Amino acid sequence: MQNTIKVERAIKNMTQADLAEKIGVSRQTINAIETNKYVPSTILALKMAKLFGKKVEEIFTLEKGD
Amino acid sequence: MRSKLLLPSKFKWIGLCLFIPFLIVGILNRYNGFQFDFLTIVREHNSILNPVQNLTDELALTGSIISLLMIAFAKEKHEDEFIYHSRLESWEWAVLINFLLLLVACWIFYNEAFMDVMMYNLLTPLIIFIIRFNWVLIRNKRSEEKN
Repeated sequence: MQNTIKVERAIKNMTQADLAEKIGVSRQTINAIETNKYVPSTILALKMAKLFGKKVEEIFTLEKGD
Repeated sequence: MRSKLLLPSKFKWIGLCLFIPFLIVGILNRYNGFQFDFLTIVREHNSILNPVQNLTDELALTGSIISLLMIAFAKEKHEDEFIYHSRLESWEWAVLINFLLLLVACWIFYNEAFMDVMMYNLLTPLIIFIIRFNWVLIRNKRSEEKN
């Protein structure tokens, strides 16, 4: 699964730490999601979408093989 | 692992501080015959157990297992779903690698040497888990610094 969190963060001018704090996870987790090492839970995906004011599928997209 | 089964994060360091002396006592006991005299117990002769027994090895093994459990089950400072996921994945790795090592060992070691392997095997699942889990955290921290 791909995501555009890094881009969304840049639009909102947020650091990984800012985003982590706002959705209640560690910075490590944001980094692991951005680098595609970890697929977040639905809860976390929904929280991020809400924060960025977008739909989940605008931020997260399926890749071939998913 | 949801926090129900986990200990406060300071147990990681308490466990580490305890593990080292217990391990040293265990190794000295196994290879140099080191014993604490005050741990010698004498039983009545009609007992089915050994009449004289020293509990240094029991103490070292119990202490090593408990201290490793403390390290393995200590919470991270910020426990969240990624940490939870890494924890479960590391247990999976630990069980798999442990049994692979055991499979190799049962063809290489015999008799007394195999007893040694079995003894170390009491600790290896915990040790492999601790190494794998911390390696994941360190690797992620490094990539975090790069980004």
